Amino acid sequence: MSNETRKTLPKYRPATDIIEGEDGYAIVLDVPGLAREDLVIDLNKQELVISGKTGYPAEPEDKGDRKYTHVEFGGCEYRRTFTLSDTVDREKISAKLENGILFVSLPKAEKAKPKRIEITE
Amino acid sequence: MVIDFNPFYEFNRHVGRLLDDYSSPLTFSRRRAAFPPINISEDDANLYVECEIPGLAIEDIEITLEDSSLTIKGELKPGEGKYYRQERASGLFNRVVSINTEIERDAVSAKLKDGVLEITLPKAEEVKPRTISIEAS
Repeated sequence: MSNETRKTLPKYRPATDIIEGEDGYAIVLDVPGLAREDLVIDLNKQELVISGKTGYPAEPEDKGDRKYTHVEFGGCEYRRTFTLSDTVDREKISAKLENGILFVSLPKAEKAKPKRIEITE
Repeated sequence: MVIDFNPFYEFNRHVGRLLDDYSSPLTFSRRRAAFPPINISEDDANLYVECEIPGLAIEDIEITLEDSSLTIKGELKPGEGKYYRQERASGLFNRVVSINTEIERDAVSAKLKDGVLEITLPKAEEVKPRTISIEAS
């Protein structure tokens, strides 16, 4: 049963804020129900892929002996892809999961800060 | 060539992504009318109210139990900086759940895990189902 429910979890694009701060960007995602060990963040070349499955089944009725009278949410699979620009320092990307929110911090690379090019004869 | 200015640079990859998006129609964003979304369930001993409130600590959520209603209240504060994209809800929220059972008021408890709040409302003794034994005479 549990295998089958895992397969049929609906996929959602989590609601996301992208904010530019002084020294970098921050991506904030709403991922309620996602535990730290179920979260996967992959970075390949220019793509940052955030995905994870909630620990509970899609239909809460499958959870056990409780009787549900009103249902508005259930388990799901979160997945969202971001394309990074070259201004982001890939080595310094960090992430923090807190109260169902994922913060990904993308610091700007040194070389992305504007630089004047000297002209030589 | 040091820099590729061709507009079709990485064209295949972009087309691939576009097709991926369309081939999985189940991927959609979650938008609901009421915030926070609530599930209500019960068993013999308790009534449970679960809701998804990402981004708040338990001390920032105000839970009030009145005569026949449970109120969940709080405020989601937006972050600081220049927004490129804003999809997450922010601002004050307030949701009322009506409760039709007698509740053991002093034993109500709430816990928050990974942005999911679960309130346990124990039913009062007099409304719990009980087995009545019938003695044959």
